[in-house]
Amino acid sequence: MNKTTRLLLTAVFLLSAWPLGGQARESVSPAWPFPVEEYRLRNGLRVILSADNSLPLVSVVLAYGAGAVREQPGQAGLAFLMENLMFQGSENVGPLQHVGYIQKTGGVVNAETTPDKTLYYQELPSNQLALALWLESDRMRSLLLSTRDRERRQDELLDEYRGRLGMEPYLESYALFDTLLYPDFAYGHPLIGTQGNLKALTDADVKGFHAAYYVPNNAVLSIAGDIQAARTKELVARYFDSIPPGEGVGPPPPPLFSQEGEVTRLLEDASLPSPGFHLGYRLSPLRPGDMYAMKILQYVLSRGKASRLYTRIMKKDLTAYYFGAILEERRGVEALKVFALNRDDVMAERCLKAVLSEFDKLKGSLISLEEMEKTLHLFKTDYIRQLTTNMDRALLLADAAFADIRVDALSSELDKYLKVNPQSLITLANRLFVPANRVVLNIRVR
Amino acid sequence: MRRAPRPFSLPAVVAAALALALAAPGPAGAQGRFRRTPPIPDSFRELKLPDIESFPLPNGLTVAVTRRPGSPLVTIQVVIMAGESDSRQDLPYVASLTARMIGRGTNAMSSDDMERLIESIGGDFSAMVFMDYTVLTLHVLLEQLDRALDILRLMIVIPEFHEQDLATVRRNFFYDLQAREKDPESVGRRQLERVLFENHPYQTATQGKSRVSYITVKDVRAFFNKFYAPNNAVLVVSGDVDGATVARKVGRLLGPWARRDVVKTAIPPPPANDKKRVCFVDFPAAEDAVIYVGNLVMAPRSPDYYPFLVLNQVLGGTMNSRLFMNLRETKGVAYSAFSEVAFYRTCGVFWAKARVMPEAIRAAIGEIIREFQAFPSEKIEPAEIEEAKSFLIGQLPLRFETLEKYGDQLARVLALGLDAGHWARASDNLMQVNVEEVPAVARKYLAANPVVVIVGKKEWAGEALKDFGAVEMYDLSGAPQAILRQGVEK
Repeated sequence: MNKTTRLLLTAVFLLSAWPLGGQARESVSPAWPFPVEEYRLRNGLRVILSADNSLPLVSVVLAYGAGAVREQPGQAGLAFLMENLMFQGSENVGPLQHVGYIQKTGGVVNAETTPDKTLYYQELPSNQLALALWLESDRMRSLLLSTRDRERRQDELLDEYRGRLGMEPYLESYALFDTLLYPDFAYGHPLIGTQGNLKALTDADVKGFHAAYYVPNNAVLSIAGDIQAARTKELVARYFDSIPPGEGVGPPPPPLFSQEGEVTRLLEDASLPSPGFHLGYRLSPLRPGDMYAMKILQYVLSRGKASRLYTRIMKKDLTAYYFGAILEERRGVEALKVFALNRDDVMAERCLKAVLSEFDKLKGSLISLEEMEKTLHLFKTDYIRQLTTNMDRALLLADAAFADIRVDALSSELDKYLKVNPQSLITLANRLFVPANRVVLNIRVR
Repeated sequence: MRRAPRPFSLPAVVAAALALALAAPGPAGAQGRFRRTPPIPDSFRELKLPDIESFPLPNGLTVAVTRRPGSPLVTIQVVIMAGESDSRQDLPYVASLTARMIGRGTNAMSSDDMERLIESIGGDFSAMVFMDYTVLTLHVLLEQLDRALDILRLMIVIPEFHEQDLATVRRNFFYDLQAREKDPESVGRRQLERVLFENHPYQTATQGKSRVSYITVKDVRAFFNKFYAPNNAVLVVSGDVDGATVARKVGRLLGPWARRDVVKTAIPPPPANDKKRVCFVDFPAAEDAVIYVGNLVMAPRSPDYYPFLVLNQVLGGTMNSRLFMNLRETKGVAYSAFSEVAFYRTCGVFWAKARVMPEAIRAAIGEIIREFQAFPSEKIEPAEIEEAKSFLIGQLPLRFETLEKYGDQLARVLALGLDAGHWARASDNLMQVNVEEVPAVARKYLAANPVVVIVGKKEWAGEALKDFGAVEMYDLSGAPQAILRQGVEK
């Protein structure tokens, strides 16, 4: 599934959050294209099951509320390091055995760190469900940590990062832009941290992070695919029920930054291949339901070759040779971001002006019904496509759970997007696409 | 920020612990016994694939329909039985440019109009060109099926190729090829196949980007007229659809697509290499060396196909396989070492691939060749075979997770001339591979001299390869530069 889309969907869920409440809750949503059942173990672990028996596969996602927002100043990169160390073994599973066990079944395994979560996931033959639960439960309850492994992994992550810089020369410009767009440390610092920070992290940092956040009452276990509910519950209980809860895990720190007008900065770097810019609108203040319309606005601007920005800067003006746009959510802070690369400085300036004028057009006139219909058709297709696989659904359900979305509310989500109308778009554009919300980072090669 | 999933190319030291760990159970404390060892799996559930219904139309087009009940999406694929190997040898990539020109308008409709039309139904169109065939894919919601078929009619029955669009397509394709030249693995594989396919039509697909800019609208039109005919195509529809209904709709819309004589010369399988060939591609920005050691193997219709898949898995399929364990874990001469096999209509290409430090080039090549040579005679434990089969069988359902994937596999079966039950019987066929068959196919396919390709900085070549006899030096575009003998340019 397109991870950006998933992130955006979560953004929407977050904005329309319901309190979870209660100790245990079960619900089944007949309208959701797949049955979904949610319950909670005594130790606080939230479990979501979604059966689809069309293929003998199962996806298991274990997500912890342990993303970069949990890092303290001086600890930048800790969540990402933790993700990597989770493969270094636990009481009954040796270093990298987790990968080896899953691979032997023909399955796949992976992990990712996000601003608000760290997710571990595997997809494997459905008769091997117990294996995935055994592996995940073992490293939740008993991570093994050796100083030597930790130090090696820190060195390797830094090497990998340097390697990525060679392949993705604009990586550091993204990080700089994020610090401008999200000035709070918790929300704006890069996941990889800084080189100095990452290298300085200690065993105590890692152990403290695991003990505080890798606990059942800060996790969601999402299982989708060829499962039988009773057998799955039995296995979940066997492997997870006896893991003690952690101490209460509070919410991440709230975003504190305030709008102080438009921010424009210049990045000069002679090593970059070409000039360009990052443009972002902080989406503040947001009201309930705004993110549905904002998602549709992003589609109007940038989804497909007939979208407004693509048509304007890639086909008509030809001022950009690359551009991308994303609606981003970082657990409480949201932004619409555009990144473009241009052949020279003049083109970069023209391109930025063209992009800004397209934002202004959204504020000045209603979107035609024809364009609205096209946009909603594209959105609907994408929405459904990103629920296609077991892994898509397991990840989406984990995201929704962290956003405290009731599973029985998921079935009406699509309708909320499809009910967005041109008037709501123009209203939202006028409220949020204002200079005070704007951040621009111009990139020049010099 | 979310990063793309890692394909688990785990870095150096991480996997160092793998071998150790596989043998070393952790300490057992006050924990349930069930935690100490991996659980026994539940009973295995076989993969059941939906049937394929075929409907031949009077103009020669075959409509193949697979039903996926409950799917709100439908995937429509036009499989053209011509691919990159059908490009003229003096016009490599005309097949790719032709496919990329599909969907760029008709006489009455511009490229922009066509893009808007596709997006107006929420459609997503793409074109993929393989060695032997081309797949044009349109994904839409089921409710848009009729409009999608009509758009497909415009695309393939009455397309027009405009010079301005071709200029854009050429430029973008050129950049794509340029981007591939920045990836040492792409460069290595292209060089390996270029040598293996010498004097064979498949070599066309391994050329550099230099001639792309010479391809004209006339060339594209000629390729289209030669191969894009209903009697040289299959229309695959996957979704919650009724086969007969779809076939009727397709017949009504694509009936006017006129049958044409399609003259295709049968491509013979290329012979396996048996000469000592060592090629070094200069990659000035390289930090490590990438090594390919490979040769031609059987076509996918061969009875040796399944035993060879198992062989590949044992030799280099995962981090638990022989190449990884030997080159990386035991000898410490490679960051990674795997083997892979790709199949075309007339043959397969098998290779081992390793990423190594420059000073380890010679040792790594030696170890790979030693693994090839030793495989037929070394004892293979039944457990090793069973583990490989278990992996391959377990992996099968992942190939069919989405309509797109299912359609892709079906297109492949049709285009490579495989049996219609290829995938349905894959699990059984793998199950039947036994411990005698695997060394037997190794003797058959690993005995000949493989082609060796190294991608790295040219200054590494002299010392590393002085014992390798003649070493052919190439630049990044694949153009020959010099021959080294005993590490010295002659």
